[in-house]
Amino acid sequence: MSIWLRVLYAFISVSVATVYGLMLGGIVRKIYARVHGRYGPPVWQPFLDIIQTHSRRVAVSHGNMFLLGPVFRLAGGLGTYLFIPVIYGSAVFGNFSMAGDLLLVMYFIFFGQLGMALGAGNGGHPYSPLGIARGLAQMSTFEVPFSLAVIAVAIQYGSLNITTIVAAQQGGFMNWTLFTNPLAVIAAMISLLGMNMHSPFSIVLAPQEIPIGPPIEMNSSFLGILQTNRGLFAAAKLVLFMNLFFGGATNLLEMVAKTFMIYMFSVFVGAAYPRFRPEQSFRFFLKWPTIIGVLSIIFISYFGGVL
Amino acid sequence: MVSPIYILIMSLAVGFLLSIIDRAGRKISLTAFYGVLTFNVVLMANWLYRFVFLHVPTLVINTAGFKAPISINLELGLMEAFVLFFANLSGLLAAVYLFKKFKETQVSSLILYLLLIMGANGLVMTQDLFNMFVFLEILSISTFALTVLKKSRETLSAGFKYMIAGGVASTFFLLGVVFVYYFTGSLNLGNLSAGSFTNVGLVSVFLLSIAVFIELKPFPANGWALDVYQSVDSGIVSIIAVVNSAAIGFVFYKIMPLLPSEFLTVFGIAGIVTFLFSNMMGLKQDNAKRLLGYSSIGQMGLLLAALIFTANVQPSVRYLVIGGLFLNHLISKAGLFWLAGIVKQDKIKDWGILRSRKPLLVLFGLFIFALSGLPPFAGFWAKWEFVKVLVDAKMFFVLTSVLVGSLFELIFLFRWFTSVVKNTDETNEQLASPGKSKATPVIVFGLMAVISSFGIMRFFYEFNWIQVLPIFAVLAISLIDSLPSKVKGFLSLAAVAGYGYYIYPLLENNLQMFFGVIFIIGSAINIIATLNRKNQSRGFYGFLLMMIFSFGNLLIASTYLEFFLAWEFMTISSFLLILRGQKAQRASLLYLIFSTAGAYLIMVGFSFAPALSSSGGALINVIELVNLPLVSIIVLAIGFMIKSGSAGVHIWLPEAHAEAESDVSPFISAILLKAGVFGLLMLGISYISFTPSFDVFYWIGWVGVITALIGAFMASFQEDAKKLLAYSSMSQVGYVVAALAMITHLGWVSALYLAFNHMMFKSALFIAIAGVYYRTRTRKMYEMGGLIAKMPLSYITVLMSIIAVSGVPPLSGFGAKWLIYTAFITKGWYLQAGVLFFASGVSFLYLYRLIHTIFLGQLKYEHQDIKEAPVWFIIPQYIFMAGIMAISMFPNLIIKPLNVIAMKYFDSSIQIDGLTVISELGHWNGNLVMYVTMAVFAIPFILLLVLKGKTQKVKQFNIVYAAERPESPQTTHVAHNMYAHFRKALGKWTLPRVQLFWDSVAEWSHTLGGFFRRVYTGNGQTYILHIVVYIVVMYVVMGVK
Repeated sequence: MSIWLRVLYAFISVSVATVYGLMLGGIVRKIYARVHGRYGPPVWQPFLDIIQTHSRRVAVSHGNMFLLGPVFRLAGGLGTYLFIPVIYGSAVFGNFSMAGDLLLVMYFIFFGQLGMALGAGNGGHPYSPLGIARGLAQMSTFEVPFSLAVIAVAIQYGSLNITTIVAAQQGGFMNWTLFTNPLAVIAAMISLLGMNMHSPFSIVLAPQEIPIGPPIEMNSSFLGILQTNRGLFAAAKLVLFMNLFFGGATNLLEMVAKTFMIYMFSVFVGAAYPRFRPEQSFRFFLKWPTIIGVLSIIFISYFGGVL
Repeated sequence: MVSPIYILIMSLAVGFLLSIIDRAGRKISLTAFYGVLTFNVVLMANWLYRFVFLHVPTLVINTAGFKAPISINLELGLMEAFVLFFANLSGLLAAVYLFKKFKETQVSSLILYLLLIMGANGLVMTQDLFNMFVFLEILSISTFALTVLKKSRETLSAGFKYMIAGGVASTFFLLGVVFVYYFTGSLNLGNLSAGSFTNVGLVSVFLLSIAVFIELKPFPANGWALDVYQSVDSGIVSIIAVVNSAAIGFVFYKIMPLLPSEFLTVFGIAGIVTFLFSNMMGLKQDNAKRLLGYSSIGQMGLLLAALIFTANVQPSVRYLVIGGLFLNHLISKAGLFWLAGIVKQDKIKDWGILRSRKPLLVLFGLFIFALSGLPPFAGFWAKWEFVKVLVDAKMFFVLTSVLVGSLFELIFLFRWFTSVVKNTDETNEQLASPGKSKATPVIVFGLMAVISSFGIMRFFYEFNWIQVLPIFAVLAISLIDSLPSKVKGFLSLAAVAGYGYYIYPLLENNLQMFFGVIFIIGSAINIIATLNRKNQSRGFYGFLLMMIFSFGNLLIASTYLEFFLAWEFMTISSFLLILRGQKAQRASLLYLIFSTAGAYLIMVGFSFAPALSSSGGALINVIELVNLPLVSIIVLAIGFMIKSGSAGVHIWLPEAHAEAESDVSPFISAILLKAGVFGLLMLGISYISFTPSFDVFYWIGWVGVITALIGAFMASFQEDAKKLLAYSSMSQVGYVVAALAMITHLGWVSALYLAFNHMMFKSALFIAIAGVYYRTRTRKMYEMGGLIAKMPLSYITVLMSIIAVSGVPPLSGFGAKWLIYTAFITKGWYLQAGVLFFASGVSFLYLYRLIHTIFLGQLKYEHQDIKEAPVWFIIPQYIFMAGIMAISMFPNLIIKPLNVIAMKYFDSSIQIDGLTVISELGHWNGNLVMYVTMAVFAIPFILLLVLKGKTQKVKQFNIVYAAERPESPQTTHVAHNMYAHFRKALGKWTLPRVQLFWDSVAEWSHTLGGFFRRVYTGNGQTYILHIVVYIVVMYVVMGVK
């Protein structure tokens, strides 16, 4: 495949994912509003927000790193997404998955987070590092059950190649990791709650304590780029989970359906539970999900995953 | 040839005449006095020469014209000549040392001194037991008389105790002599043997031997001697510690053939017990001379044990062990006692005054190093061979005691040394010039220590010059030490390049070559940072070169001993480099203690190892043919893991890294730690061919994984930037250890990849922090902030380095993560991989803390005018950055060679297809990742530039802030205790348990030492009781009927 064709496909793929991700964000706001007893903004509100932020006349900057922070963030989202094969067997949505396997995706997630943390730090506002310190600590803990689940998956399929993992789950929903290795999926889904930073794990943004934390100083286009990333990055994570645990997708519709369901899990939990204090959140991830993750490895490696 | 009997005759004759010729003037009597002492030395030197080089037979002197046993006969062989030469030399030098005193006191002191020396000579040479008793009495009485040369309450009391104890011992000796004559009808050693004494007859040899043994001051019946060491004049004490002990020790050696082996074993163990306990009690001691007393007693116990336990080994080894221990004790103890007389300070903490006289300080260090058994001094070689003997004989109790005792001794000696070098009580007191007569003996013995060590290395071990190069580097730099620091820096750089050029052809194996790059090229780049030194940095470059050459020598060492020698040189030089830090007293001591404990384990491990069959080049290459026994693998592994800072034995690491000078820390972290890794790899190579039943490396793997996690946690909770980096190093090297412990192809590739990567980013980070410290004069991160605007170049280094540490693509760190996790999962070490994932997550905490609290956030007012780090810091940082970029862009640059290195030992587990590395589990194309990252970075960047409105840069504190308006950077910068919430969540898990454990170990050994010290009540009667009880106990233990 020529490089330009590949770039074109990537462009299409990214655009679809971004639009879809932003829409998801709108839906979530709607759902939360209804739970709170409000009417809520329209589902296209995220698009309006992006247009609005980019139209500001003045961009207040605190320094070069501050300026680069959002760039890092969106680059992280783009990269993460582009290293995942989105739709099984599709050339358009195959992305650049030949660059690396699951480990690459897992570590590329940090690229944007780290860059954003640095940009926010350069902002000089004390709430930014407070939020980041919370976020990093929480991240280090929810990564434990998630990585245990990934190890279990790697053992199960003898591969870290996402396409191979998806391929192995084809041929009926009973082949999904969800059913062949349920403990790993439970551990990973609990981690997802932390990754998505909805309640009860919304300690990073925590509007009432450290008003939205890291991006507090972000404004105008800086904020606009962050908002774009929020859509794309959410889509990327969901696609990753779908590929690892829910049989992947062979077409766009299946992808949308599955990722929507996965996302709704954290939305429902988020709507129902109040926020943890940071230390409660850290302890939580190191307790039950970690035990489940360890059990999933024992289950898959010693009992061959057969119930 | 002049008969040695003239020593006795001359001493007696001149002794009697002295009181007469003294009336003609003190000058004449002193001339006669020194004449006799010099005559003794010359005579013995001549005999020693004849025995060693001309191989003349043992000389037997019959007195009174009859053959023994009718008359008394003397014997002078190699051993006698050796001991007497050094005893007489010490006698002469001590007399020189006492010159001023001898000029002023009564002539009787001179006479007594001559008698003492004569007594010692007689004791060594005589073959007749009764004659021995006579000489023993002469020695005791003259010593007693001399102890009271300085008249004070303490000396009189000590001297009195000494005499009483000596009297008791003599009584027993005389009784023994009577019994021997009763049972055998002879007193000549030539006619007696162990077989001459059976049943009741054993009592006679028991009495004889116990009397001599008591004179050698066994624990705990030695309180009488300690008071003497503490209170008597240094010159005289040096004689007691050296000449008397040598003569009496030799007496014991002579009567050893009369003793049944059970007796000898008990004596040997009693000697070892003395060694162990004296040194343990020394721990609590703060009086310099008493400390030396403990050490002397301990050394004599060790010497005695060595005499007994080496009885059956090859003579050359036995000579080296006994001769080495003897010479080492004699030279360093006499030297230190003399120094004590020059310094005239009782408390060791007041010895800082020695710093005002650099040559004396150097000599002091020399003696301390020698006494602690560090190379290249005689004690080191003796200990190496002795340990081997003990291991071969399976005497593990003795072995353990020797090593633990040695460690105690090293602790108190180096506590003394470091406090002398570093004690911060600024006293402007100058040490008065010692004068020629006092300085000369010390200098002569200092030279002797050096000459004897080179003698052993050159003639006994026949080392190549390259093995000794580290020492020559120190000497060479000390010659040009007056040059400016930069000149020395460039010369050192050239020397390292030259050294690299020299050893390059010797590196026949790719693995050696790989470590050569880390050790030599890594060091060379790090030297650039030292060029920033403004002051003269005396001594710095010498030890730096010593360390770098020792690294290299590790690679080309072809025997266990060469490896160990290089290892020890590396330890010593790094210790001295760390000690240069401003507040590094405690840190360097801790480092030395742990390193020495590790070195002892390595020594034991090598002693267990089978001999190398062929001389097929470097150890690392022939080790695959060596079947290391399990115990050897375990102790060696622990030894190496101490150096690499594994969890449990890591507590030296943060202190040492933090307190070393900022341009020394990169060497320690980035390079020194890899020496431990090199050692472990060496073990691994043997392990592949000869896997023992117990999977040691499985557990090493766990230790590595736990180290990675603990290191990351500890790093997250540090306020000190260098400590944070130190713990980070610990964590990273934990990964390396865990990876190489897998003993798989991919495991080794990842271990080496990470080791190389770590060398680059950790050097860069430490140098960057060195630059920050240079500008801000603080290591506390919360005192900084916002430096990005002032030090952008350093910021970029730190940024790139932390990306490389964390494993975030596209930089080289990701390669390490990819390789390691793939290796772990394919190996089946799933839970270990889980722990590593956790460690890797935690590492983000400390990395962000490092960069944020220093460079981001609020700039402090006092740092408003700060400048970028000096260029000498920037250059090496960017060389390393270029390296990181190169292997990030083109991972094949490193993956391919590593693949080849590991393929020597395993089948390859990866395929390299163009730019993609394919493993059993997945694939990674670092080059493509880099391009994609560049593209995805460029797109939003351009987007931002296009879309954003006019950028307005705002000033500090112009932030959206509710309520109070921020105005002080201190209250606005989130830095101190940044992860309080995390600490709170983890609760008790964050307690520094290892630190607490070692603290309590230290506490216990000190308390125990203090407890045993209580037997020394200072009461003469109690001391006599000790002696009597000791004799009774020994009587029962030996089962004498």
